[in-house]
Amino acid sequence: MEKSLFRYIWTHSKRDQMIICAVVLASLPFYFMSLDLPRQIVNQAIQGEAFRDGNPTAPFLNLSFDWPGWLGGSTWEIFEGFQVSRVGLLMGLSFVFLFFVIVNGAFKYWINVSKGVLGERMLRRMRFDLFSMVLRFTPDALRTVKSSETATIIKDEVEPIGGFIGDAFITPVFLGTQATTALVFIMVQNVWLGLIALAVIAVQFTVIPRLRRELLRLGKQRQLAGRIAEVLDGIEVVHVHNAYGWEKAEIGHRLFNLFTIRLKIYNRKFFVKTLNNFLAQLTPFFFYAIGGYFALRGTLDIGQLVAVIAAYRELPPPLKELIDWDQQRLDVQVKYDQVTQHFAEDRLGPMLEAREAAEADQPLIGSFVGEDIRVAGPHGDLIIEGGAFTVELPASVALISNGGAAASMLARILARRSLEFSGRIRIGERDLTQLPMVVTGHRIAYAGVDPILFPGSIRDNLVYGLRSKPLGRLKEDGQEMDRRIAEALRTGNPIESISDQWVDYERLGAKDEDELDRILLDLLDKVGMGDTIYLFGLAGRIDPERHTSLAERLVEARHRLRDTFQSNGMGDLVEPFDPERYNSQATIAENLLFGVPISDEFKGRNLADNAQFRSAIDRAEMTDDLVQMGLQIAETMTEIFEGLPPGHSLFEQFSFIGADELTEFEAILRRRGRGEGSLRREDRTRLLSLPLAYIEARHRLGLLDDAMTGRIVEARGIVREVLEKAESGGVEFYDPEGICAAAPLRDNLLFGRVSYQVANARARVAEAVAAVVRELDLQEEVERVGLEYQVGTAGRLLSPQERASVNLVRCLVKRPDILVIDGALAPFDEARSQQLMQLLLELFDQQSLFMVLPNDRQAGDFDVQMRFRDGQIITDKTAAPAPRPSSPKPDAPQRIAGEVA
Amino acid sequence: MTLETEVQSLRQVPMFRDVDPARLKLLAFTSERVQFAGGQRFFSQGDPSDAAYVILDGRANVLLNTPGGEIQVAELGGNALVGEMGILSDTPRSATIMAAEPTTALRIDKRVFLELLAQFPQMSLAIMRELAKRLERTNAQLVAQSSS
Repeated sequence: MEKSLFRYIWTHSKRDQMIICAVVLASLPFYFMSLDLPRQIVNQAIQGEAFRDGNPTAPFLNLSFDWPGWLGGSTWEIFEGFQVSRVGLLMGLSFVFLFFVIVNGAFKYWINVSKGVLGERMLRRMRFDLFSMVLRFTPDALRTVKSSETATIIKDEVEPIGGFIGDAFITPVFLGTQATTALVFIMVQNVWLGLIALAVIAVQFTVIPRLRRELLRLGKQRQLAGRIAEVLDGIEVVHVHNAYGWEKAEIGHRLFNLFTIRLKIYNRKFFVKTLNNFLAQLTPFFFYAIGGYFALRGTLDIGQLVAVIAAYRELPPPLKELIDWDQQRLDVQVKYDQVTQHFAEDRLGPMLEAREAAEADQPLIGSFVGEDIRVAGPHGDLIIEGGAFTVELPASVALISNGGAAASMLARILARRSLEFSGRIRIGERDLTQLPMVVTGHRIAYAGVDPILFPGSIRDNLVYGLRSKPLGRLKEDGQEMDRRIAEALRTGNPIESISDQWVDYERLGAKDEDELDRILLDLLDKVGMGDTIYLFGLAGRIDPERHTSLAERLVEARHRLRDTFQSNGMGDLVEPFDPERYNSQATIAENLLFGVPISDEFKGRNLADNAQFRSAIDRAEMTDDLVQMGLQIAETMTEIFEGLPPGHSLFEQFSFIGADELTEFEAILRRRGRGEGSLRREDRTRLLSLPLAYIEARHRLGLLDDAMTGRIVEARGIVREVLEKAESGGVEFYDPEGICAAAPLRDNLLFGRVSYQVANARARVAEAVAAVVRELDLQEEVERVGLEYQVGTAGRLLSPQERASVNLVRCLVKRPDILVIDGALAPFDEARSQQLMQLLLELFDQQSLFMVLPNDRQAGDFDVQMRFRDGQIITDKTAAPAPRPSSPKPDAPQRIAGEVA
Repeated sequence: MTLETEVQSLRQVPMFRDVDPARLKLLAFTSERVQFAGGQRFFSQGDPSDAAYVILDGRANVLLNTPGGEIQVAELGGNALVGEMGILSDTPRSATIMAAEPTTALRIDKRVFLELLAQFPQMSLAIMRELAKRLERTNAQLVAQSSS
C-alpha cells in the first residue's frame, strides 16, 4: 500500500477529484454573483441609483464589458438589456438573485453527493485492498497480528479516512481560492495592511497545527480496548488463578494513564483555542492602530480602511475551515500510518496470483523427490538437516513421529502450509513451492489438529473447499449486473457474483446439488457421523419449498408411524395432537395455541404479555382461571424451592420460577394473603405466565380436571380466530394433514408429544421413528435437512469429534491427489481413529495419503514409512503392505435411533 | 394421582420417614412418574445406576443372574424403594427389577437425589439413620446365624 495517503488518494481518484475541482471552480463566479446581487438590489433598485438622472426606466440584464484603458478604454456592449421601471428592476433583480440561489444550491448538492460517492468508493477500495492483504499475512505475522485489531482497522479506523477522501483536494482548493481572493482584495487596498494580515495568518498556520499535532500524538496513546479483549479471551485463566485483583489493578492503572493523557489533551486543546482566538483578534488591532495611523497621515482613505476591515471579516471562516481540514488531514494521516504499519510489506506474503492458465493443472503424480531439506525450529535449532526422500506417487506414506516436531513440520511443508525451509521438493518435473495456488488448492488437502469451521450450516462448511471459482451460470438482471460490475471495476473489487454457482458439481461426478448432498452424506456416514446427521435432521426444520419431496411424504410418514404405534401396542407412548382433545403431555400454552410460535412475542413468557393472546383468552373467559392456577403454582413452588440457594441447578431444571423471581412471587402471594383484593395488572401477567408452561403429566400438581381441559380445547378455537383475524403471523397452527414448517422435523413426524409417564418411552419412540423413516426411504431426505444444521461460531455447536469429522469430509469431498493428515484424528478414541485410518487408506487407493503417526504401530498398512532420526529422513518401503480390507468398517454399526424428545 | 399422593407414598418409605414434608415434595416434584408394562424391566443387573425407584402402584420382582439363568429372589410391593444402594455407592445394579404387572413408580434421578442430599443435611441424616439401622439389622442377623 502507498506510504502516503495523498498519493494513494490521487492514484485511485485523480479523474474524479479533477472533475469535482473543476465544478467547484466553475461554481465560484455564481457564488460571487449571489454575494454581489444584494448590493445591486439595495443600491440600484431600492435606493434608485439606476434612476438617479430622472430616467423613468433603467436597463436590466445589461451585459457590457469595459476594455482597460491601454486597450482603448471603450465599452463593449454584449447585450444592452431590457428597459424596465423601478419595480420591474426590483422584481427582475430579485428573481435573478433567486436564480443564483437555486444554481448555487444545485452546485452544492452535486458537489456534496459527488464528494460522498467518491469517498465511499475509495472506502470500498481501501477496505477491499486491506482485506486482500489480510489474506496475504505470512505465518510469522499471523503470530503477532490480533484478529480483533485487524477487524477494527478495516471496519472502523478507515471510516474517517473515507470521509476525508472527498475533501482531500477539493476543500483546500475551494477554501484557498476564497481566502486568497479576500487577501488579494486587502492587498489591493493597502500593501502594508495586507502584509500584516498575511503575517498573522502565516503564524496561525505554522503554530496552531504544530500544537495540534502534539494533541494527536497524545490521542494515539490508548490501547484500552485491546487489553480488555485479552482479559475477556482469557477469562478462564483469570477465574482459575483468582487474578481479579491483578487484572483490576492493571486496568485501573491504564485508566489512570488514560486520565493523565486526557488531562494533557484538555489543557493543550483549550490553550490552542485561546491562542487561535487571540491571533484572530490581533489583526484588527493592527488594522485599527496602523491603518488608523495611515488614515491620519492621509495615505489611506477611511473608505479603504472600512473595506479592508470588512474584507478581513470574510477571511476567518475559510481560514478556520482550512485549519480544521489540516487537522483532519493529520488525524487521518495518523490513522492511515497505523493502517499501513499494520499491513506493512514485511508482514505480507507474495501477491496471490490470480487465475492461472489451466495447463499447469496436471495430476500430482510421479516421483516425489525431496533433496537437502533443512527446517529450523522456533529456537533456531535444525529439526531436519539435509533430509532427502524419494517416493513414487500415488502412495500411502506414514510420517512416523519421533516425538519431536519433524514429522508434523514435513507434513505442513508437503501440504504447502509452510514455506519456511530450504532445499528442493519436486513432484515429477514441478517444484512444489512453485505450484500455483489454483493447483494446490484443488489437488492438495490438509487436515490439521485444529478443525477450523466457519459459522453456517454443515453443508456450507463441507463444500467450502469446492468454491474455487464461479461457473458463470447465474442469470442476472442485465442492468443491475452492469451497475455492479462497473462499480467493482471502479473500486478494484472482484467482479464475480457471490450468488453465482461456485461449486463445480461435474468435477465431483455429481449432476446437481442433490447428488452432491448424496456424496457428502455418504462420506459423513463413512467417517461415522451419519447418525449424528440423522439426529440433526430430525431436530431441523424443513423448508417446504426446498425439501418438496420430503414435505409431501411427511404426512404419509406421520400416518404410518401412528399405525405402527397402534399395531405394536405402543399407542400410549405418544399422545397425538388432536384439534378436539386436550394433550396432557403438552403445555397449556401449546394446548391453547395448538401451533408453534414463530415470532418471539408468542414464545415463552412473552405470550402472557401478548395483547392478542390476552384478548383471546379474555374472550374465552379463561384468564381468571389461569391466574388462579398461577397462584397455586406459585404457592407450591415457593414452598418446595424454599431454602435452595439461588442459582442452584435444580431451579434451572425444574422450577417454573427462576431463583431471582422467587422473592417477587412471594411478595405477590403475601399481598394477596393480606387480602389486598384484586391483583395488580403486572402481577396477573406474571401469574399467567406460570400455568402456560404447565404440563399436567410432567408436573402433576393436579391443576387440571376434565371440565378445565374441555374449556381449554374450546378456547383453542377462539385463540386461533383472534390471531388469524389480527394477521400477526406469529403462530403457525397445527394441521393433522399438513406440514408445520415452524416445528422441528421430528415433531412433524410424531405430530404429538412423547408420554412422560411411560418408562423408556423416548428410546422406544425413537426406534419406531427410525424404522418408519427407513421403511419409507426418507433417511436421506432427513439427513439432508441435517446438513443444514448450524455449526455456530468456530463450530462450537458441534462436539470435537463432529468438528474433526466435518473437517475430514471437507478434505475428502475435494478428492485431492494428495491428502495430508496431521493430527486430524486426535479427538477420536483409538478404535475409531484406527477405523478412520483404514477408511482413508481405502478411499485413497488411487491417490496419495500422507499421515503423521505418533508411533509405528499402525505404519505397516502404509506403502511407505518415513522416519526421522538425527535430522535425517529415512524412507522404508513396506515389503508387502498388509492387504487392505475390502470394507473399511468390518462391522458397519447398526444405526442408533437416538433420542427423540 | 397427584404430587400430594406421591408425597404420601414417599412418607411410607422408611428411608424418607423423617424427612421434612416440604423436602419430600421437592423430591417428588423433581422425580418422574413412570409406568412399566408387566414384564418390562426397570433396569438389568450390571447396568449403571442412574436412578432409584419408589413403587407407587403394582408389583415388581427382584431377579438375580445365576449360571442357571435368572432366578427370582424377592417381590416388591407398594411404597418399596429400590435401587437406592446403587446410586449411593455408585456401583452397577446388583440385581434386575422387572415389573410383575402394570406398575407405576416414581423415578428419582441420581444426580438430583445427590444434589438434594448435599443441599439439605437433615435429609442426609435421615438417610444415614436408615442405613445405620439396616446395618444393625444385618449385624443382628449375622449374629443370629452364627449362633444358630
